[in-house]
Amino acid sequence: MLVQQLANGVFLGAVYALFAIGYTLIFGVLDILNLAHAAIFMLAAFVALSLAGLGVPLVLAFALALVVAGLLGVLLDRVAFAPLRRRNAGTLVPLISSIGAAIIMQGVARGIWGPDEQRFPANALSTAEIHIGSLTVGALDVVILAIALVLMGVLSYVLRSTALGRSIRAVAADRVAAALLGVDIERTIALTFFIASALGGAAGILIGLQYNSVSLDMGARIELKGLAIIILGGMGSVTGAVIGAFLLGAVETLSVAYISSSYRDAIAFGVMFLILVLRPTGLFGKRALRAA
Amino acid sequence: MFEFFAHHSKLIDQIGINALLALSLSISLRAGSLALAQAAFMGIAAYVSSIGAVHLGWNLGGAALAGALAAALVAAVLALPIGRLRGVFLAIATIGFGEITRIIAINWPITGGAEGLSGIPNDANTLSIYGTLAVVGFAIFLFGRTKLALAVAATREDESAARGVGIDVAGVRMGTLVAGAIVAGLAGALYAHSNFFITPGDFGFGRMEQVLVMCVIGGVTSSLGAVLGALLMTVLPELVRFLHDYREVSSGAILLGIILFSPAGIAGLWQRRT
Amino acid sequence: MRVKSVFCAVLLLAFGSSVALGAGPMTGKSVKVGVIADVTGSAGAYGNSQKNAYELAGDDLKAGLIDAAGASLTFDVQDSASDPNQVVNLVQKFTTDGSALMIGPTLSSEAKKADPIAVGKNLTILATSNTAQGITTMGSCVFRDSLSEEQVVPQMLVKMEKAWKVKTAAIIYGDDDQFTKTDFDIFSASLKADNIDVVDIKTFHKGDVDFKAQLTAIGEKKPDLLVIGALIEEGVKIATQAKQLGFKGHFAGGNGLNSPKFIDLAGPAGDGVIVGAAYYLGDTRGGNKTFVERYTKKFGKAPDQFAAQAYAAAQVVAAAIKGGATNSGQFCSFFGNMKPLMTVLGPVSFMSSRDVRADSAILEVSKGAFVPFK
Repeated sequence: MLVQQLANGVFLGAVYALFAIGYTLIFGVLDILNLAHAAIFMLAAFVALSLAGLGVPLVLAFALALVVAGLLGVLLDRVAFAPLRRRNAGTLVPLISSIGAAIIMQGVARGIWGPDEQRFPANALSTAEIHIGSLTVGALDVVILAIALVLMGVLSYVLRSTALGRSIRAVAADRVAAALLGVDIERTIALTFFIASALGGAAGILIGLQYNSVSLDMGARIELKGLAIIILGGMGSVTGAVIGAFLLGAVETLSVAYISSSYRDAIAFGVMFLILVLRPTGLFGKRALRAA
Repeated sequence: MFEFFAHHSKLIDQIGINALLALSLSISLRAGSLALAQAAFMGIAAYVSSIGAVHLGWNLGGAALAGALAAALVAAVLALPIGRLRGVFLAIATIGFGEITRIIAINWPITGGAEGLSGIPNDANTLSIYGTLAVVGFAIFLFGRTKLALAVAATREDESAARGVGIDVAGVRMGTLVAGAIVAGLAGALYAHSNFFITPGDFGFGRMEQVLVMCVIGGVTSSLGAVLGALLMTVLPELVRFLHDYREVSSGAILLGIILFSPAGIAGLWQRRT
Repeated sequence: MRVKSVFCAVLLLAFGSSVALGAGPMTGKSVKVGVIADVTGSAGAYGNSQKNAYELAGDDLKAGLIDAAGASLTFDVQDSASDPNQVVNLVQKFTTDGSALMIGPTLSSEAKKADPIAVGKNLTILATSNTAQGITTMGSCVFRDSLSEEQVVPQMLVKMEKAWKVKTAAIIYGDDDQFTKTDFDIFSASLKADNIDVVDIKTFHKGDVDFKAQLTAIGEKKPDLLVIGALIEEGVKIATQAKQLGFKGHFAGGNGLNSPKFIDLAGPAGDGVIVGAAYYLGDTRGGNKTFVERYTKKFGKAPDQFAAQAYAAAQVVAAAIKGGATNSGQFCSFFGNMKPLMTVLGPVSFMSSRDVRADSAILEVSKGAFVPFK
């Protein structure tokens, strides 16, 4: 049973990690908590679902929905964050404007897709299972884990080894200095939003596929844990977020299996609380993105 | 006038309770600590006061004081481990604390769990709610004229400088957390005693988010701003009720519009001129 | 003043669900029913079904499919956004705006905050989706047409035992939601009464999507029966993931799973799930066939139990008006003395406890449809 539970924890962790990496990127670069990330996550899943429903092949629907999510992120920045950035409004105020933006997106989604939970067309997915000894693993879970790992790898590579990544890191480190060095700040921020939101959208679609469920509150229900993960990981640390995500997946699964399912979330938040008390700036310290 | 009051007394009561909650958060924010445990403090006091009233026959005054005291005690204990945390790290640790509190409330038989606690005497009325609000407001006003208020402001603006001039930064933070918990606790007791029934879900992350929005919309560290923020955010869903299917979208748009128009909140509208 | 009345008229046109036409003994009388539903927010899926049902009831009054004896019957459906504060504000509105009856709110936890206010103002209440204990005891004019699971589950277990010789069971339920917690209480009491051994109990939280940890632990114990105390969103995933993990036992659930949406979402994984419920989609009594057809045509999906219970409430209200009721007191006494009335739920009347007396439906998901379980 332990092996099966550990496998359950890994797949759950992958889900959390996917959600968290886009989230943490915006957090690291702009120092703001973007509570509309969860709404974009949800909208992307609905867009992909609608496209798949129209008969668009799943891979293409996935790609198109990512672009939509990315553009929504850029729009979100222009509407809800850029005006505040120009006025140096601090970190709390953008948090509230992102809540406002999230309510609008939620309302729009309710208007377009209705209040009910939906699923991808029945034939769009593989329901095959892989059995290794007593271990049962869905083929889809493995594919999703692989995609999640690839996306995380690509993001790390972009941040570390490309010109864009250098610009992003420079803006994260010191916006004024970056501007002096000739980095186009607004363009870099727009691209950051595009990448982060596309990643959030990818998470929404993959989670929608994995659990075969797309619903209005799919973002809200993962939001708090996503928030916990990125802060636990350390401000803007992609590695920290990934490790935090797998840690959370494992803690949750094991506490259900061996302690108490009723106290699962209390245990998960308790572990997070303890780690923060011991390491007040998260697992990977402050400003990890600078050194990413 | 009387008719208006009779038709909207519940809404008026909600505004008063929310104003207390927003004030309670603004007290913590005044010392620059983003401790988001107001919903939990509210819940602790709501349960203590309700269980006291249901099982031990406490009256409103006693129940509210016991609730506020319980919230204050928990806040004082909580202040110790979170003393080193700042900013978002403090925020998420306290949100986590709130979730843990809620889950304990779900699982502890005395609270009635998810099925809730009923039979709470409905003895909090508009007078007791606004009376409490007036007392709290006056206390904050008086505090603002003391030297301690300067220590709180100094802690917010520059912690190391404050420490340099001999301010007990940890003490200030703990003090504001406890004071905020007392106010949130009073709000929680009044909430329970004006709603017949409470469930753990009343005191979750959603409530915390609401209180934060009220406080920031009002203008973070301004007391009058917090009260106005609570007024606006409580009335808003009812004001846009006539928009029917577009209610959700317009509520979000109004929230976004206000914060973009005045990032310093409602208080910023008059503070900017001075 | 004139501007105000024009404004009111526009509002009525836009939002009032219905104005009944046609002559009858009550012609010229008008009755407004205040409905509180969580059309948006976390319970939006259920409140929306309710709102749809009253919209259709409005159409059906005009079409003569529901007979209110010529009275003009309006359902003023207001959204409480799954927020108890808004529920409370709406109750206060309905106690002061001339509503003759209040229907709702959607959730029991909301009702426990809201109903005492209406009771204090002598406004009769008809609940259509509150399943918790202690709803109708809040006042002598608080009724409900939603069948308690206590009235369904024991019969259901007897049938299952007979069919499969069930010896052991495990329960998985949501412990932070009143609806699913009540499911647990009732199922565990009934299992105990039937001497079925409960080998494991696991919980989840509202909004969870991954139940593999709980189901892996339950699977180890190999129970004959898995009881699912969940609403459809979670229930679908529990059934699906349990089958994925190779669970071989039977499944049983309560009211929360009785929705055509369960079948849409679960697909083949739903097959074999037994649901103890208060409404059968395939029922042909009480105009249900027409109701299902018209609802499906209007909203593009079949009605769920929330919609059916709401529509039945509209039928009950119309019957009361036909019986001469136009104000709160008359509704209260009509409901209390009502002879069994044929509705989409089958024959409905109220017991002295003001709980509903109605048929239960024990259903099995088979080849993508709910069919009576034999």
